[in-house]
Amino acid sequence: MEFGKFLAAPEYKVTIVTYRDIFQSAVMEGSRFSEEYLKLSAVIRMDAGDIKKLGVKEGDTAVVRNDSGKVIVRVGSSGYDASHQGIAYMPNSPWSNVLLSADTGGSGVPRYKGIEAVVSSAKGESVTGVDGFLENTMKH
Amino acid sequence: MVTLLNENYHVCTGCALLCDDIEVVTGSGRITEVKTACRKGVARMKGCSEPMSPTVDGQEVDIDNAIGAAAGILSNARSPLVFGLGNSTNMAQKKAIELAKRIGAVIDDTSSFCQGPTLEAIFNENIRSTTLDDVRNKADVIVYWGADASNSHPRHFSKYSYFPRGQERQRGWEEDRIMITIDIRRSHTAKISGDKFYQIPLQADAEFIDALIDALSGKVPKVSFGFDIKRILELANILKKARFGTIFVGLGLVYSIDNMDPVVKLMDKLNEMSNFHLIPMVGHYNMRGFNQNLFNETGYLNRVKFEKGDSTDVQHGAEFSIVETLNNKAADAALVIGSDPLSSLPRVIAEHLLNIPVITIDPCETFTSRKAKVTIPSALSGVECGGSAIRMDGVEVKFEPIIETNRPPDEEILTRIMEAL
Amino acid sequence: MTNAMEIYKFLPKTNCKECGKATCMAFAVSLLSRELTVGDCPPLKEDDFKANYEKLSGMLTPVKGAAETGMIVHEDKCFGCGNCVVACPVNVADDPHGTGIGRAPTSDKVILRVEDGIVRTSNVHECRRFGMDKILCNGCIVTCPTEAIEFV
Repeated sequence: MEFGKFLAAPEYKVTIVTYRDIFQSAVMEGSRFSEEYLKLSAVIRMDAGDIKKLGVKEGDTAVVRNDSGKVIVRVGSSGYDASHQGIAYMPNSPWSNVLLSADTGGSGVPRYKGIEAVVSSAKGESVTGVDGFLENTMKH
Repeated sequence: MVTLLNENYHVCTGCALLCDDIEVVTGSGRITEVKTACRKGVARMKGCSEPMSPTVDGQEVDIDNAIGAAAGILSNARSPLVFGLGNSTNMAQKKAIELAKRIGAVIDDTSSFCQGPTLEAIFNENIRSTTLDDVRNKADVIVYWGADASNSHPRHFSKYSYFPRGQERQRGWEEDRIMITIDIRRSHTAKISGDKFYQIPLQADAEFIDALIDALSGKVPKVSFGFDIKRILELANILKKARFGTIFVGLGLVYSIDNMDPVVKLMDKLNEMSNFHLIPMVGHYNMRGFNQNLFNETGYLNRVKFEKGDSTDVQHGAEFSIVETLNNKAADAALVIGSDPLSSLPRVIAEHLLNIPVITIDPCETFTSRKAKVTIPSALSGVECGGSAIRMDGVEVKFEPIIETNRPPDEEILTRIMEAL
Repeated sequence: MTNAMEIYKFLPKTNCKECGKATCMAFAVSLLSRELTVGDCPPLKEDDFKANYEKLSGMLTPVKGAAETGMIVHEDKCFGCGNCVVACPVNVADDPHGTGIGRAPTSDKVILRVEDGIVRTSNVHECRRFGMDKILCNGCIVTCPTEAIEFV
């Protein structure tokens, strides 16, 4: 029996690794404010088993949050054959950057490829829009 | 210096590969067709759908007023920050360094949280590098480590590293070259490597390097994660036999290690027994140019603070990185050139930019420009203005404008700001 | 993909040589490589073989979007990286100082080139998977990071 059935909204801890996607990069050259850029950026790609544990389906929205901030993005499958339980991928974008910590240990280099965060179903809430990034704070 | 082979060829400024064999078709003042460039390069050369206008406080003004307002902000700032320049020509970068000196600014670029450590090791000659032309002509073993060139520099394999014939590589890729990918995931690049893909866990790069050095030294390699030792020995054997090897380092490796020591150690070991080189997978088309230009001027490639009125006083360190400068709220004004820190930096850190006057110089609207006090539109380099840039391997590439514009190039804007100070 | 044996099943099997080939099996191979068309077999056009004629025409109609060689480019998957352009043995042979060394094409004879960031085909009859001496060359398939090229 899946533990998700006993919780209103199961949460799942992940380490997020950001990556570059050429389709997203190409769309960014055209416009950072387009629907297409949002579609290709606001996504978290997870292990198929992890998606199941969350009780969501591919294409559903999920809340991804930690002490640094919170974003709502779409859930996608990574498509990798090898299991990568607990590791999720997000294209490098303003959406993934909301989750980055200010604490770099003084190194000046944020942890773009090792963001600890918690994922849960957004229960149909829509993806964080571009306007959110133009507000004065995104800290929740 | 690269000379164009054909008078119809142009240079693509989509990334630091600076492809120099691009033909275009133009019409109504725009590029309408691009030949041979990749998907990303085509998007760059065709231009954006949201060109930036000259503005002050969100109101459209003429460009002279915007330049005047920018000079006013920088004159009044006690600790200004100059950031970006990866998408500017060498000439513009030199102007920006001059401006930073004049106003006593912190100056930094994206290398600060990107390939800075790799380039520093190359500039200081701790690591041997080579040119992409030599890779094409000679390399028999190429390694992509934490790099997904398929997505970041799509023509890397076809123009230089794996598929083309070269002077000493006449028989084609299947027989003449071996391509290896080391990564945490089976990226598009890893797929091209076929069975020469070595998948390692997150943050395990340093440990894998140690195991590889052991294997190269004839010891039995050991790793704490499940990995077939035979495959490490097999990899070491390929590297050992290389006649001309090159490692292309991506951010996956750079971010996974605390400093470059493990990479330097591996390169030293490889060069005891074979012939290895390293090239960083630089992203922005002229990031390496900025690093080179600042290095020539100060001995540091990024994270520099100039003292106002004393051009010999140069400070350098992590506290002068853009990340720590904003984190410590140590800047009271920012000049952002060809970059979008509000979108590329951690949001909690970038938010300081919303509390200080920001000037953006860019051809297109960005998240940062939409919140900036002053915006100054500039010509898109490589398309609307010419100049020169440094390719990821350190080779200088010159380019001419393709179409006309009335938007001035970065260097002209920076010169005019300096005149108005 | 249709093979020569399947095509042969629907032929008159009389080895009449009217098509110019020695046997019906040879004619089947020619149909497969698109060297000849179904209409090149006179007996097939007679009423007795009407059903077979239609069946064969259906089998040999290229899939929508496929070139004569059966090559399909999935444009939505293509990065424009040019791996296939440089790896293609025909491109290397016909354009050794352009695509052969990784540069823009300098010959009109190339089969593959990248335009507007997507691979385009031309001169496909030169493809090694086509014609009399066809071989199952897969240079453009195995070098593609996204399976954007396939043959049907």
